[in-house]
Amino acid sequence: MQSNAALEYDYSLAKKFTFLTILFGFLGMLVGTIIAAQMAFPELNYLLGEYGTFSRLRPIHTNTVVFGFTVSGIFATWFYLGQRVLKVSMAESKFLMIIGNLQFWIYFVGALLATVSLLFGVSASKEYAEYEWPFDLVVVVVWVLWGIGIMGLIGIRREKALYISVWYYLACFLGIAMLYLFNNMSIPTYFATEGLGSMLHSVSMYSGTNDALVQWWYGHNAVAFGFTVPIVGMIYYFLPKESGQAIYSYKLSLLSFWGLMFVYLWAGSHHLLWSTVPDWMQTMGSAFSVVLILPSWGSAINMLLTMKGEWNQLTENPLIKFMVLASTFYMLSTIEGPIQAIKSVNAIAHFTDWIPGHVHDGVLGWVVFMIMAAIFHMAPRMFKRELYSKKMMEQQFWLQTTAVVLYFTSMWIAGITQGMMWRAVDEYGNLMYSFIDTVTVLHPYYVIRTVAGVLYLTGFVMFAYNIYKTMTAGKVLTQEPQFRTPMA
Amino acid sequence: MFFHWLEKNPFFFASAISIVISFAGLIEIVPNFAKAAKPLVDMKPRSVLELAGKNVYMKDGCMTCHSQMIRPFKSETDRYGDYSLSGEYAYDRPFLWGSKRTGPDLHRVGNYRTTDWHENHMLNPAEIVPGSIMPAYKHQFTNLADIETAYAEAVTVKNAFHTPYGDEFQGTRAAWDAHKTKVLADAAAIAADMKNQDVKDAVAKGEVPEIVALIAYLNSLK
Amino acid sequence: MDIRELQGYASFFMTIFLVIMLYGYIIHLYRSEKRGERDYEKYGNIALDDEVTSTPIEDKPASQREYKEENK
Repeated sequence: MQSNAALEYDYSLAKKFTFLTILFGFLGMLVGTIIAAQMAFPELNYLLGEYGTFSRLRPIHTNTVVFGFTVSGIFATWFYLGQRVLKVSMAESKFLMIIGNLQFWIYFVGALLATVSLLFGVSASKEYAEYEWPFDLVVVVVWVLWGIGIMGLIGIRREKALYISVWYYLACFLGIAMLYLFNNMSIPTYFATEGLGSMLHSVSMYSGTNDALVQWWYGHNAVAFGFTVPIVGMIYYFLPKESGQAIYSYKLSLLSFWGLMFVYLWAGSHHLLWSTVPDWMQTMGSAFSVVLILPSWGSAINMLLTMKGEWNQLTENPLIKFMVLASTFYMLSTIEGPIQAIKSVNAIAHFTDWIPGHVHDGVLGWVVFMIMAAIFHMAPRMFKRELYSKKMMEQQFWLQTTAVVLYFTSMWIAGITQGMMWRAVDEYGNLMYSFIDTVTVLHPYYVIRTVAGVLYLTGFVMFAYNIYKTMTAGKVLTQEPQFRTPMA
Repeated sequence: MFFHWLEKNPFFFASAISIVISFAGLIEIVPNFAKAAKPLVDMKPRSVLELAGKNVYMKDGCMTCHSQMIRPFKSETDRYGDYSLSGEYAYDRPFLWGSKRTGPDLHRVGNYRTTDWHENHMLNPAEIVPGSIMPAYKHQFTNLADIETAYAEAVTVKNAFHTPYGDEFQGTRAAWDAHKTKVLADAAAIAADMKNQDVKDAVAKGEVPEIVALIAYLNSLK
Repeated sequence: MDIRELQGYASFFMTIFLVIMLYGYIIHLYRSEKRGERDYEKYGNIALDDEVTSTPIEDKPASQREYKEENK
């Protein structure tokens, strides 16, 4: 070990994953906007022959956003803040650097191949778990490498106490590992016979109702451990660091952590209300979903109160704006979710556009905003340059906020309209509408959603451009900023 | 102090998280496993052609827009038929309930749509149902269904999960070659009700276009 | 006793157990702060003072770290 004088944090991996975050973010949102447009204008289904239909592109949208954009964002921020809160540099361990780079390349190549496989219709058909078994294995390898990276860094840390963000990243690692493994259990048919048929095909280890239960136990909690847990971990670091204010109540953050860990997993069966899953499980899912408000709001309120007495920063610093809006959308979607999980509400809401509406106010408003804020915060420190344009950040903020509001309001209306029309009966008790009536009526809302998608995507392109210009043309910084991110 | 110790030991801390998060799965999912996996009395697993059709259904992502789960409401049973029962899904790997009804539920579509209707509809949905936003799936008329993989799937579930396929289902190439004639006969029966000449010719040559397998599958949804 | 009954008991007692653990944890957090054994809020500063050269809030015992480094 050399003397500490020259020791610096090593951001090379954080940088690499930041590039991937932007790349996959753009791809995922582009495909999202295309499929939104296809629902409004079905002629757009034929741009790419059989590879351009909504049904092929939709899994690409979800998987690229979840496993491409969000997971890259999680990795990027981990390789940044993990070092910082543990007060140990990646440069101190050659081993961890090798593991990290290995993780990066396997992940990058694997993600690209997996996306291509979905384009060709190689799909296991379980939502957010569409990758067929060889790609599942790649995911497992990447995840194990990341686990080694986390544990290794914790092993050589200087700071004995584990900061709350580390708790959340650890939980993300463990949660996804468990869920992904169990849900994707399948038998490759080629190897179970004497080499008959396709090598890529496999059958699920579970059938019917069981498969549905396992899938939604996974699907719901992939949201928990991919879209909630690590993002909370991010905001617990970046919001205090950017504002210079310590977390409002550290104890509350610990309590909501355990609350979230315990309650979240029960709520999965709320995706299966009124299905053939046993009644008591449905009720359990419904009840725990409502209880889930407590730990979620515990975290959200804690974030907002961190800004106590410093609200002036909200007007002065667009980065704080991004993060405060993210926590606000977190509160919105964690109250909306439980409402949809009430059985009588679910009877109307399930199978309608209200559900994608809910997902998107969470993801566009909370996940993407937080990850972009994190990258805005990290960029000047990683590239040792000032952020390129504050004005552009402001414009991007308002553009994307408008987009999210347009998205979820149109989908709320669309969902509830369709849900009510499906069940509407005339005075004799006959159904009033044929199915197609309930589709054509949605056209204006699908158009609004497409507009929202275009606006949001534009905002994301502005973000990418801002980061690119920061790297290449930002004013060079001589010293790493302590709290507030410098911007021109 | 216990909690103090836990927070300082990453390994035990990680174990504590794992225990807390696996609790729900253990209580909710595991105990009902055997019961929920029971099929209805006398239920037959899908034929190889139908399985191949199910794989086309998955390949083209039909479940992204169509559900297969009729909920126990009058508005749904009026529209789609009897509400769904757990046992009906016992041989479905994976389950294809879907989560969004951009199009109508298909769990009992075999009761009220015919081969002929599907053929026209898959070629041009908006012509059959004015206002439909479903894309046409013309490529299913030229792409060939992978019946060999479907057969491998049937053999796999028979061996691994005791799905009641007959003794002739063996994982050897010879057994497949023997069974193939049966699959082609099923395909010919579907093609006989179709009017597309290319499809008929392909089936006559011993090939199975995707559309034939898909219609066999859709007709089996009852 | 069939599996459903067992499941019911297991669920009930595990829930009670975890609720007790959670409340025990709350009591632990506040009591140890009141007694002055620990100050949880100071951990919030880990995020603020996070230079690689800054002093850890809670140092890993120096001997332990050096020992590890020598054995690399």
